[in-house]
Amino acid sequence: MSVKWKRTFWSWLFLAPFVLLILFPFAVMFVTAVKPATEVLEPTWWPSELVWRNFLTMWEATNFGPALWNSIYVAVVSTAIAIMVSIPAAYALSRFRFAAKGFFRQFLLVSQMLSPMVLVIGLFKLVVWLGILDNINSVVFVYAAFNIAFTVWMLQSYFSTIPKDLEEAAWMEGANPFKALVKVFLPLAVPAISVTAIFSFINAWNEFVIALTMLRRQEVYTLPIQVFSLVAGRYTVEWHHVMAAALVATIPVAIIFAWLQRYLVRGLAIGAVK
Amino acid sequence: MNRSPFSNPYVLILPGFLLSAFIILWPLVQLSQLSLSDVSRFGQIRGFAGLENYISVFSDPDFLGALWRTLIWTVGIVVGSIITALPLAIVLHQDFYGRGLARVIIMLPWAVSLTMTAIVWRWALNGEIGMLNSALTGLGIIDTNIQWLAQASTAFPMQIMIGIMVSVPFTVTIFLGGLSSIPDDLYEAARLEGAGAVQLFTKITLPLIRPFLNIAIVLNTIYVFNSFPIIWATTQGGPANSTDILVTYLYKLGFRFGKLGEASALSIMMFALLLLFTLVYVALAMRGEKE
Repeated sequence: MSVKWKRTFWSWLFLAPFVLLILFPFAVMFVTAVKPATEVLEPTWWPSELVWRNFLTMWEATNFGPALWNSIYVAVVSTAIAIMVSIPAAYALSRFRFAAKGFFRQFLLVSQMLSPMVLVIGLFKLVVWLGILDNINSVVFVYAAFNIAFTVWMLQSYFSTIPKDLEEAAWMEGANPFKALVKVFLPLAVPAISVTAIFSFINAWNEFVIALTMLRRQEVYTLPIQVFSLVAGRYTVEWHHVMAAALVATIPVAIIFAWLQRYLVRGLAIGAVK
Repeated sequence: MNRSPFSNPYVLILPGFLLSAFIILWPLVQLSQLSLSDVSRFGQIRGFAGLENYISVFSDPDFLGALWRTLIWTVGIVVGSIITALPLAIVLHQDFYGRGLARVIIMLPWAVSLTMTAIVWRWALNGEIGMLNSALTGLGIIDTNIQWLAQASTAFPMQIMIGIMVSVPFTVTIFLGGLSSIPDDLYEAARLEGAGAVQLFTKITLPLIRPFLNIAIVLNTIYVFNSFPIIWATTQGGPANSTDILVTYLYKLGFRFGKLGEASALSIMMFALLLLFTLVYVALAMRGEKE
């Protein structure tokens, strides 16, 4: 047996309990989601048959469609706003020297760490003041504003890796800075912008406490709040529907995230070093 | 060329700066004002109250309980995830078959929303019909069902366990970054000198990933301190506030009990604490930058 095979054996042996523990909730989600309704309350692991139809009945029973649409709306619009104001700011940080640069970077670092949780009562007052309580746009606004620190930070760390020469060449050729930015720089920055946008999307997709506070009518619930409302404070919980909904709301985003997480780490790491 | 707004960094920064400063400063000003006022259930300010709200927060036994539990919660999860993540990162740093897959699996809990994770565990930990009990019974480990979430003595450790599980992926990633920054020839040189595995770890690995360890501790402290969904979606701080930590207690104070003045005072204190953690982080990050 070669050295690498030996190492493979020991590595997986060590990882096995962790892998089991991590996959346990997924197994619970899946098994419960496909159980026949009558078997859900029996503590058995294996269902007598796989009821894929649960996913269809779940859609109606849990009000999944509207919540899905709300989640998509919130995540897309808040990401779009955050990215739009972050691109110029990140561009300025990566291309220009200016007096307030150090201050702005520290401001970003600090505000990236401040969770909306400790400000939630003030944010609630803000939303009431703006007259958008129970309006889905309240959440859009808060997510967008809170995401800016993260998106600027990620974008500037990637922008710094794009060479300056091309824009300078465009300036030499007589293009104005706006044209150089849009025609030369932005096309090169598309991958960085997409990765950052996806993380901002996932943040918004998974957010809980702000949505719980600002959205109090079922019509405006996002997915986490909708699924939570099926569980909290109820005497009977239709667990097979809840688990089916959780599975559908989770898996696509989880796959994208697991696939892209190394870019997140790289972006944050470059940002911290450069 | 210099007259174009697109070459003036201040113009470029302004929209992002204003928006992100506004979303922090406006609520902060409101909170400070509320925390010093006598506030009605509906947020009406009835008069100046001085430090009364702060004092009544401190004289509430539920607050002291939540404060103590926040300490256990934060230290438990931060220490637990670091102790778990370090060997995991070392194993995942090695070259073996299926490493890509192993990394994706270890990262998975990070990708799932905390709310969903907590709801799944709420179901799995159900006393009568939960799958954890049935799995443990099936394996012959227990013979009577445990009501995991019905009392704090089992609920809180379980919540900490879930917290560790969801913090491990992030911590592993930081450590992997640290491990890959250590040049291989250091190990080779040490091995030639006759160093054993333990010595390699304590004399090379540990000192060299020290900065990454610091960052992981500070960032995890900040995240865990703020973490709301795990406790809220499993027990909502119950039974009888016995699993409340500061964030869930704050939420109840403001939105359940309608004590907006006290909740604002608590927010301000938590904000100050968080700011302190953050300044430590900034100091560490900036120090790393200089080196």
